[in-house]
Amino acid sequence: MIVMAFESLDPRIKRWNLSLQRNEEYQSADLDQLPTYEVFLQMRDGKAYEHAGIVHAATADMAFVFAKEQFSRRYTCTGMWVVLSERVWVTDCMELEENVYDHIVDTSINADGPQEEYEIFHLMKRGKQHKHAGTVGTTGHQQAILQAKTQFDDGTPVLNIWTAKKADISATDAEDQVIWSTLKDKTHREVISYRAGDRLKAFKERQNG
Amino acid sequence: MYGGGNIFEATKFDNLTQEDPVKLDEFEARIARGEKIEPSDWMPALYRKQLIRMIEQHANSEIIGALPEGTWITRAPGFKRKMALMAKVQDEVGHAQLLYSAAETLGKSREQMMQDLINGRSKYSNIFNYPAFTWADSTIISWLVDAGAIVNQLANSKGSYGPYCRALERICAEESFHLKYGHHAVIHLATGSKIQREMVQDALNRWWPPMMHFFGPPDRISVHTEVLTKWKVKMATNDECRQQFLDMYVPKIWELELTVPDPNLKKNEQTRQWEYTEPDWEEFIRVINGDGPCNKERLAVRRNAEERGRWVRQALLTPEAKYVTPLA
Repeated sequence: MIVMAFESLDPRIKRWNLSLQRNEEYQSADLDQLPTYEVFLQMRDGKAYEHAGIVHAATADMAFVFAKEQFSRRYTCTGMWVVLSERVWVTDCMELEENVYDHIVDTSINADGPQEEYEIFHLMKRGKQHKHAGTVGTTGHQQAILQAKTQFDDGTPVLNIWTAKKADISATDAEDQVIWSTLKDKTHREVISYRAGDRLKAFKERQNG
Repeated sequence: MYGGGNIFEATKFDNLTQEDPVKLDEFEARIARGEKIEPSDWMPALYRKQLIRMIEQHANSEIIGALPEGTWITRAPGFKRKMALMAKVQDEVGHAQLLYSAAETLGKSREQMMQDLINGRSKYSNIFNYPAFTWADSTIISWLVDAGAIVNQLANSKGSYGPYCRALERICAEESFHLKYGHHAVIHLATGSKIQREMVQDALNRWWPPMMHFFGPPDRISVHTEVLTKWKVKMATNDECRQQFLDMYVPKIWELELTVPDPNLKKNEQTRQWEYTEPDWEEFIRVINGDGPCNKERLAVRRNAEERGRWVRQALLTPEAKYVTPLA
């Protein structure tokens, strides 16, 4: 492209009178790197929650808002869970056909303490997302995996397990589903709103006739 | 959008001699079996380095690519076009977030990537160093640049690194609207008044050379990428992507009775390959190294956004919050 000298077409350059010369290195502050949260979506009522990805946020509330925008902006869903990455407990990742539950042995860790609910997520295949397998009531992450072994291990190889304490998860409830109610009005985000075949056909007819 | 052809560093193969040969064999066998690599798996340093570089470049292209289109939102003709363009630009920024997250699983933080972008130490798709003069330029970007990116992204989504593939699958699902929207907007101009047709033809003339650059230098002058192909980091050659793009979109351009500004462009029916005038690769190298019409302003705007957003991040800070590498 041959471009003559031109004034910037980006209004921000003029509005803020930005200098185009880089005088000093840009240095971000250490805490600009916000912690990450893992996001899980339920695509339809009754379906298992599935890992969608992460968001960076300063607080759990902000993480929730970002997650809604990042992962359920274009396609609707029925539920969302958001949990600080740091709070998720992770097992090793297994080789093909190897079941992580076969490596879980009762190490007789002191299981005293208050009973709490833990969500269990399974990764069944490399490259796929973790899926919610169920909930167990117990006293810690390791006990949760022992419990999960008795309840959710049907012998099918599970490559990797995540556990998260239910109390650590920000979750939508049935009433919150209203946050997705405007999606159906946003047809400008759908392929179907951009049919141009008739216009193209009429154009070709004009050109040929 | 917007991942274009990637520029890989010259690969030094002797690096591999320092890798544990048993682990390297297992790693290569896993890829050969068609299994994905996950963040906690062992991987050669070269694989990690090239993937960070590739995913980071792709993420940078998404947020920088949102700049020339973003400036056209307020000037888009009519409410419907404004809504569509706003949704598209928002998608692109969302794609950057998905890709930065995928790169982070390899151990480079998003903040570091942002800093390297602003300081000119990392690249983004060269095409965004050119200006969008008119509304028609914006429609050509939405249609053809997105189309080119889809060719690339579909190939890369079959690569070996799990988090990158997952991000690309999500991105490709969102892209189909961009492509349709862009085509719709171009059809509207091309089948409209004489002035509209001239506008879109002028825009096509401006964007064709950068579009031919988009997939990167021809394979014969690209750095040796054999090992990256074997590791399923690079899934298609630059020329393969360029041929596929020409095959899919030149007929659609001709159908609108627009002219592609290259008198030598034609499909050789014997070789089934498109023949074209070789674009100016010296210009490509010059622009990608900083001397294009918009390089400086793109980075200035990005830097301004970071600096002006700082008070928000400061206000939100919880001092006890700690960053850890994301899980997947």
